[in-house]
Amino acid sequence: MTPQSIIPFGSSDWSAVVPMTIVALSALVVILADLTLPKHLRRPVVLGVAILALAIAGVVALGAWGHPVAAFGGAFVLGGFAIVFEEIVVVAAIFSLLLGSTLGREDQAGGAIALVLWSASGAMLMAGAANFMTIFLGLELLSLALYCLCGLSPRAGARESALKYLILSSTASGFLLYGMALIFGATGSVSLAAIAGPTISNALFDVGCGMFLIGLCFKLSLVPFHVWTPDVYEGAPLPVTAFMSVVTKAGTLAVLARFAYALAPLPQAHAILAPLWIVAAISMIVGNVAALAQTDIKRLLAYSGIAQLGYIVASMAGTSEQGLRYAIFYLGAYTFMNLGAFAVVALLSREREEGSRLATFAGLGYRQPVLAGAMTFFLLSLAGLPPTAGFTGKILILATDVNSGYAWLAVLLIVGTAISAYAYFKIVFAMYGRTTGAEIQRATKPASALPWVGVAICAVATLALGLYPILPSDIVPLVK
Amino acid sequence: MNALLLACWLLPLAGAIVIWAFGPQLRRGAGPLGSAVVFASLACAGSLFSQASNETGVGETLVTWIPGYTFGLRLDALSLLWTLIITGVGGLIHVYSIGYMWSDRAFARFFAYLNFFVFSMLTLVLSDNVVGLLVGWGLVGLASYFLIGFWFYKPTAVAAARKAFVINVVGDIGIMFAIFALFASTGSIAYADIFAKAGTLPVGVLIAVCLGLFVGAAAKSAQVPLHTWLPDAMEGPTPVSALIHAATMVTAGVYLIARFAPLYNLSPTAQSIVAIVGGITMLTGAVLGIAQWDIKRILAYSTMSQIGYMIMGVGVGAYQAGVLHFFTHAFFKAQLFLGAGIIIHALNDEQDVRKMGGLYRRMPFAFWAMLLGTLAIIGFPFFSGSYSKDAVIYGTLERGHGILYVAGILTAGITAFYMFRMIFVVFFGPERDDVPDVALAIPEAAHVAHAEDHDAAHAPEWLMRLPVAILMVPTVAAGWLSIGGNTSPWYRYFGTLFGTSENVNAPPLPIPELASQFIVYAVVTVGVVIAYLRYGTPAALRGSVERLRAEALAMPVALERAFWFDDAIAFAIVRPAQALGAFIGRVLDPHVIDAAVRDIAWLAGALGLVARALQNGLVRTYAFTIAIGAACFIAYFAFVGIAGR
Repeated sequence: MTPQSIIPFGSSDWSAVVPMTIVALSALVVILADLTLPKHLRRPVVLGVAILALAIAGVVALGAWGHPVAAFGGAFVLGGFAIVFEEIVVVAAIFSLLLGSTLGREDQAGGAIALVLWSASGAMLMAGAANFMTIFLGLELLSLALYCLCGLSPRAGARESALKYLILSSTASGFLLYGMALIFGATGSVSLAAIAGPTISNALFDVGCGMFLIGLCFKLSLVPFHVWTPDVYEGAPLPVTAFMSVVTKAGTLAVLARFAYALAPLPQAHAILAPLWIVAAISMIVGNVAALAQTDIKRLLAYSGIAQLGYIVASMAGTSEQGLRYAIFYLGAYTFMNLGAFAVVALLSREREEGSRLATFAGLGYRQPVLAGAMTFFLLSLAGLPPTAGFTGKILILATDVNSGYAWLAVLLIVGTAISAYAYFKIVFAMYGRTTGAEIQRATKPASALPWVGVAICAVATLALGLYPILPSDIVPLVK
Repeated sequence: MNALLLACWLLPLAGAIVIWAFGPQLRRGAGPLGSAVVFASLACAGSLFSQASNETGVGETLVTWIPGYTFGLRLDALSLLWTLIITGVGGLIHVYSIGYMWSDRAFARFFAYLNFFVFSMLTLVLSDNVVGLLVGWGLVGLASYFLIGFWFYKPTAVAAARKAFVINVVGDIGIMFAIFALFASTGSIAYADIFAKAGTLPVGVLIAVCLGLFVGAAAKSAQVPLHTWLPDAMEGPTPVSALIHAATMVTAGVYLIARFAPLYNLSPTAQSIVAIVGGITMLTGAVLGIAQWDIKRILAYSTMSQIGYMIMGVGVGAYQAGVLHFFTHAFFKAQLFLGAGIIIHALNDEQDVRKMGGLYRRMPFAFWAMLLGTLAIIGFPFFSGSYSKDAVIYGTLERGHGILYVAGILTAGITAFYMFRMIFVVFFGPERDDVPDVALAIPEAAHVAHAEDHDAAHAPEWLMRLPVAILMVPTVAAGWLSIGGNTSPWYRYFGTLFGTSENVNAPPLPIPELASQFIVYAVVTVGVVIAYLRYGTPAALRGSVERLRAEALAMPVALERAFWFDDAIAFAIVRPAQALGAFIGRVLDPHVIDAAVRDIAWLAGALGLVARALQNGLVRTYAFTIAIGAACFIAYFAFVGIAGR
């Protein structure tokens, strides 16, 4: 009896999951190192191991480009689509670790970093997941680690926000599971490929799709399933917030795109997906309007993220290949401009106090001109002014929406963008506005200089993607 | 590769970088270097004159942005004109600044900013697409923010810089909106493509685009009600006022509308709005110009008023006339500002005209410079301003805007009055620099000393005089290019760039052009005579101290508060916006409502963690929201599922 027959998977199956396995296993190394190393070495070594592992995973994943593999009987599909999402997850995780060099108390550091790695591996699993089992596995791996991470901050509200996240997120998972069950009932298969094929068309299937979409909308924090986002973002430690704002979204977007594009050939696809575009449109407006009223940068970025995710989902309206490509481009742009803004906040943070209040930014243009300039640049990009990636991304989404007959989404996107400009410029005005001498002289010494690396890379990437947009080819999701 | 065009665009940027990087080593060398790159840029543009002075001009594609969309430069008749003014007048202002800023410690930094400004402005006008235009537009705003706030130790300068920045952002958003709408409806960013498809745009889109662009133009060009930053911006060094607030930046709005002439021509509604706003600005600026005591604020309001003329001209469709007024204004207004700068410099930063007087004897050169500039701006016969202003005024009549025509003539008279008020008060009568402030009713707070950064050294006088002397020539003669109406070199230069003249079948005009000119001259003369009777007669000059004091005390509140525009903006926009923000916060952000509840829960403390999180209402509120959303979703899908079959 050969091992082949015991385990019906070959080496090509295993090689498809190597990147996320590296990440998941490195978390064990991190915990071991944290237990054994002398105290002063712990944090640097652990951080180094984690970043290195993520970088290796990124390179390995990239190596698979051009050789799509459907592993484990189609449960996990590693093609161009999955690779792009895995790369985004890896990059975002590395940046969050750069911001999180002070994450948690000294004795929590190893555990916290391990949780970040596990969470990232969950998102990487979602990037390639092509059946409901793997989707759910990836999502829960991602979320369970995040519940713990959210509660790590010494801030008073942290545990409360973690609990809130747990309760509401579980509700969403319930919807997701229920939806999967109904779809399974209708198609008799847990594979996404099954819904792309000839389907028994009935109400069971449609309601299942609806519940599945509700679950995804919650994870993407689209209005009206967004309510948890600002509180959780505000309560969670800054690096975790930064991580959530990209990694959760990237993983869920991968699932959403795979699902929507698998559904697209069906005759009723238009009707099933219509609520998604409506939700995206509402998110663009509500997210930006609510951002106007915020005085906490993390809350502001939470609402801004709601709107930005609305833009990304809107790009997929019409389920064209171009639209997906532009959505991925915008997700990349969002990753950099958003993480850049978080990195600036991290640099303004001091012991026991995060630099996320608007007041912290008052007069920053005089105290730290470079940092204020970088922040302005990220905010310009989020608002969609050239020459930034945010502008290029928005103009591409406009083009694809108009081309595919969703001009109303384009109009709402323009309106939302115009509103958002005022929300973002509130921070700019605070930085360059008239301030008292005391504010100018108040020196802030960042807890760590590592976020500077993040600021620099994000700024360069935001500019470069704005001037030379790289549009990935070969990214149509495979479901088989 | 068109190396000349690239060099023309990039030289000032190179200058800015070098000066910024090596400022401490360059020291005073920064001035000549900064001037040299701008003149080199002028030479590049000049050598392309014969190739570029037509509709298509010369172009250069720089990079491919998204496949199918490219960024590039285009030097055509319109952008060539702006380029020549930006680099020509700009270069002269650089030379002047060497003298003016000589004793400033941040001498090199100033030239780095000036060069950066010139580069930004060139980006704006040379871009061949709307995205590059917006980039240039934003950079110009940034550069002007740096320059207005150059003396950052003056709180008023910082406040003025911020105000200019904020209002300009309003304009940027307007343009961004227009670009998005254009891109969504035409699918392109290049001017050429957009204009080719202009005819297919729906009327609504066209109006939205034109108005979006005009918001940008109005913010940059200080049109009512977005003008309030311009007078405040006079806090910057005087050469900055000459460069940014007279010759170049504030006329970017005129460029924008002239550039988008193919769109505006298709939308008479938008054209009318532009023209009316221009007319209102023209009149408002002139009336407020009467009430100013600060020599630079007089010139600032006159700038606002003159740009009103230009905007009105391009608004009614008289593009050649509006652009001609930009052309002549660039010379005479730079001349006036630089002349004022000589006076301010000689009087140790005194800017209040009440403290001047009798300067004709002390500073004959400045007097002649200011007098020539004044004659040009009021439209005195044969001076440059008269040709352009008459063309704009008559252009409104030609295109059937009778009220704007009358307003234009009236404004010309007011302009003559307040400009000669300045001439008489500043240059004639007794010298008043020893008269105590109280006797002239000057409020105490008016003086802000900023001599701390000066050292004793002074630059040679000719450095400041030479540019002014050179500017005298075009101040007098620039308008002569348009002699001969439609066959003049000016009108032939533009060819059909703005579309062919559409008023072939226009009804016969009530007044021929020559008669119209004489009406303007008559009104201007009346203005000058009133100014003479009030400020220039021997009796008035002898009693100038008492008269000025009486005038200052009797100044109508409406004029003193500049028609309450600032107050109105605070009342109508700032406070409601704050209130709306607070309201939205309460409605859309449950956190705010529940904050109080949560704080109580926090104090109570005895409840366990779970209990607190559940009882503070947030989770229930949230779950309720989600439940409603989910119910809508499920209802929809059940409906689709049942009805869809």
